[in-house]
Amino acid sequence: MTKAKATEAASVKRYGGMSRRTSYMKRYWQLYALLALPLLYFIVFRYGPMYGVQIAFKDFNLFQGINGSEWIGLEAFREVFAMRDFYTTLRNTFMLNFLDLVVSFPAPIILAIMLYEIRSAWFKRISQTILYIPHFISWVIIGGIVYQLFGTQSGMINGVLQSFGFEAVPFLTDKNSWLITYLFTGVWQSAGWGTILYLAALSGVNRELFEAADVDGATRLKKIWHITLPSIKPTIVTLLILNLGKMVSIGFDRPYIIGNTAVREYSDVLSTFVYRIGLEAGQYTLATVVGLFQAVVGLVFILGSNYISKKATGDGII
Amino acid sequence: MTGKNRTGVLKKTAGAVLTAVLGFSLLSGCSSGTKEETAAGESGSSNSERVTLKVEVFDRGNSPSPYTITNNWLTQYVQKEFGDPNNIDVEFVPVQRSEETTKLNVLMASASDVPDIVFVYDSSVFYRYAQQGGLADVGELLDQYGSNLKTYLGDETLKFGQLEGKQFSIPGKRAITGRYASYIRQDWLDKLGLPVPSTTDELYNTLKAFKEQDPGSLGGNNIPMGMALAPAQYETLIYSFIQPVKGDLTYSQRYEMPLHEGFKDAMQFLNKLYNEGLISKDFSLDEEKEQLVKDIQSGNVGFWSEDVDRIFYADGTLDNLYKNVEGSKVVPVDAYSNPNEGDKHIKSRYGSNGMYMMIPKSSKRAAEAVKYLDWMASDDNLITMYSGVEGENYEMKDDIPVLKADATQEMIDRIYNAGDMAIISNGKAIGDEETNEKAWIAGFPENNQEMLRQSIDLANTDTVGPIIFGKPIEAEAKYGTALNDKLKVVIVQSAMAKPDQFDAVYEREMNDFMNIGGTELKKELEQALQELGQ
Repeated sequence: MTKAKATEAASVKRYGGMSRRTSYMKRYWQLYALLALPLLYFIVFRYGPMYGVQIAFKDFNLFQGINGSEWIGLEAFREVFAMRDFYTTLRNTFMLNFLDLVVSFPAPIILAIMLYEIRSAWFKRISQTILYIPHFISWVIIGGIVYQLFGTQSGMINGVLQSFGFEAVPFLTDKNSWLITYLFTGVWQSAGWGTILYLAALSGVNRELFEAADVDGATRLKKIWHITLPSIKPTIVTLLILNLGKMVSIGFDRPYIIGNTAVREYSDVLSTFVYRIGLEAGQYTLATVVGLFQAVVGLVFILGSNYISKKATGDGII
Repeated sequence: MTGKNRTGVLKKTAGAVLTAVLGFSLLSGCSSGTKEETAAGESGSSNSERVTLKVEVFDRGNSPSPYTITNNWLTQYVQKEFGDPNNIDVEFVPVQRSEETTKLNVLMASASDVPDIVFVYDSSVFYRYAQQGGLADVGELLDQYGSNLKTYLGDETLKFGQLEGKQFSIPGKRAITGRYASYIRQDWLDKLGLPVPSTTDELYNTLKAFKEQDPGSLGGNNIPMGMALAPAQYETLIYSFIQPVKGDLTYSQRYEMPLHEGFKDAMQFLNKLYNEGLISKDFSLDEEKEQLVKDIQSGNVGFWSEDVDRIFYADGTLDNLYKNVEGSKVVPVDAYSNPNEGDKHIKSRYGSNGMYMMIPKSSKRAAEAVKYLDWMASDDNLITMYSGVEGENYEMKDDIPVLKADATQEMIDRIYNAGDMAIISNGKAIGDEETNEKAWIAGFPENNQEMLRQSIDLANTDTVGPIIFGKPIEAEAKYGTALNDKLKVVIVQSAMAKPDQFDAVYEREMNDFMNIGGTELKKELEQALQELGQ
């Protein structure tokens, strides 16, 4: 093939491709217009702030701005990796996330199956609404409720325990009891909302399968085990993988609000650590280092779980 | 049962919001770099144009209707008396009291939103801003526009705001240096036939008796000693064990208490109190003192320490206790004695300066800012800002503004945020300390004045004050916040450890404390102390 022919062929190919694409864009411009706003959101709020990542490599001075601050290379990283608090918070982040996965992950599945088994439509609808409500309550309010309920001296639960002659349980101030309080609140807040995906998956199950099972004389538990669970298995696996990918990122509100000084050893996580050194102490450079570290490890986890997902289910998330 | 930790929770929301804001402010920080060279002193010459002066104000969320924190009788007074004659619009920028420094860190990062007058109590924050070049040197402006202010504050106070000879901040003046007092339920003592305790040992025995004999018949609600994770409660206890580093002086910052001899004894005592069930069980959750105040008002608490003025306000803790519990009687008591310091009743006092008022370098209204503070210091403006309208709110007796008992609610509401608006003075600093005390007491409900007098006298007994090095301690700026946080952990963990594990827990927590900056801090402080001695 001569050079001229090759160029010609390439241009024809490109031209054809271009024209098809532009006419497609012209015809469906509304779809692109719809996409513009979310894209803008990501550019402004997700990619824009990445400009500030360079703070991690600079001796950031509030008044000189990012450009005016000196480059310091990896010095801040060395400082962060030498901090004991960094490792404690990293460990806690993994620990709380992992325990949350163990406790909070099965809860919506069980709840969804229970809801699915209910035949009375109105009862189902009412209980679903009640179960969703906690999801819409801010952690600040949940924190207030938790402190009212679980206080050692003035909490309602301990009041009841003591009136029956039991010892008061330090739900909030002993680190192990606190862990249970933390996990329990998580389940309470998220389990109901988590059922939505499973219920959606269950709505596609062919009812004839159950009828056939009835004819074969299957018990209710047998039916759940052999029909209901297998039909939501893909959903379970996908959600599990998604959750594994989020192991290193943890919300700020929940550990910060439910946590307190007495249980700092467990409740201090990366996000609260960043808040403390960044906003309270004004050491922006160190806070950015921790944030960047969290982002990089998070990325590794996401890519890793994507890889596992492709292997396991043949379907990736990305 | 309204939210026990309402303020705490609010603070936490604010924290979440602030985190979200951080990204933006850091971004906008880059734009501030170009603008920050604007000289501070140039403005103010062109009087023809109307300008806006922005002043920070603490918001405690207690504005009585119809006022708001940015529009009330005092802001209107400032606008009318200072703003209008000088062709200035005075705008107040509210900052929640509990996020004093976090919000300030965010404000300072933005060149456009930062007020022209900001303030902070923590000297290390002031030094950090000054060293990073974010503050205007107001020395010349003070000479030019601040003669009244300079006279009012005096050189001694002004010195607190200097760094390497430059006046980077204007410190407020503190009216009263007494800080804390303790109180006991006299009716409980009477019931058990006990004397008023006057040493720490006697106090312990009294608390034991309160616990065992339950004079209030409270059962599970009985709290012999009220405790919170707040300075007024733990500092009083700690100061009754630690030794001053030099004469009657201690290191100035709260998180420097563990660096004094005797700190471990204090923690050991607290551990004993906790494990024997003598103090509030959930004190570690009560950083805002809300639960403590509630418990005192319900009559559940036998002994407690507080800020010297705190319980005496109209419809405050004491009034409520007397209303709720018939026959209750409270007396101020100097119970803590320091076994490591000759059994003196050692307690901390404030330094003679108030908060650090600063003008950011990027401010174009530095001259107006100084003029505003100067105006506040001149004529009767400070008295008006503190006490309201003569003849309606107060009357002058022996040169002291005495609040009138028959002032209407509307008149009282005029000055509800006086302390936060009259920023050049912490407390009513209108003369020497004795006059200030009298003026202060005169502002309280009449039936509480006598006991407040006694409280102040106790708070002034055997005090130790902060050492002033006159230069920044680098380690304070660097580790201060982390150590302050760690101090709370040390206190809580030491208190709540099982008695046989106390030593191990204390050692572990103190090791941590030293590792995250305590060692550097100690070294620097000891060096500074030595230099001071020469």
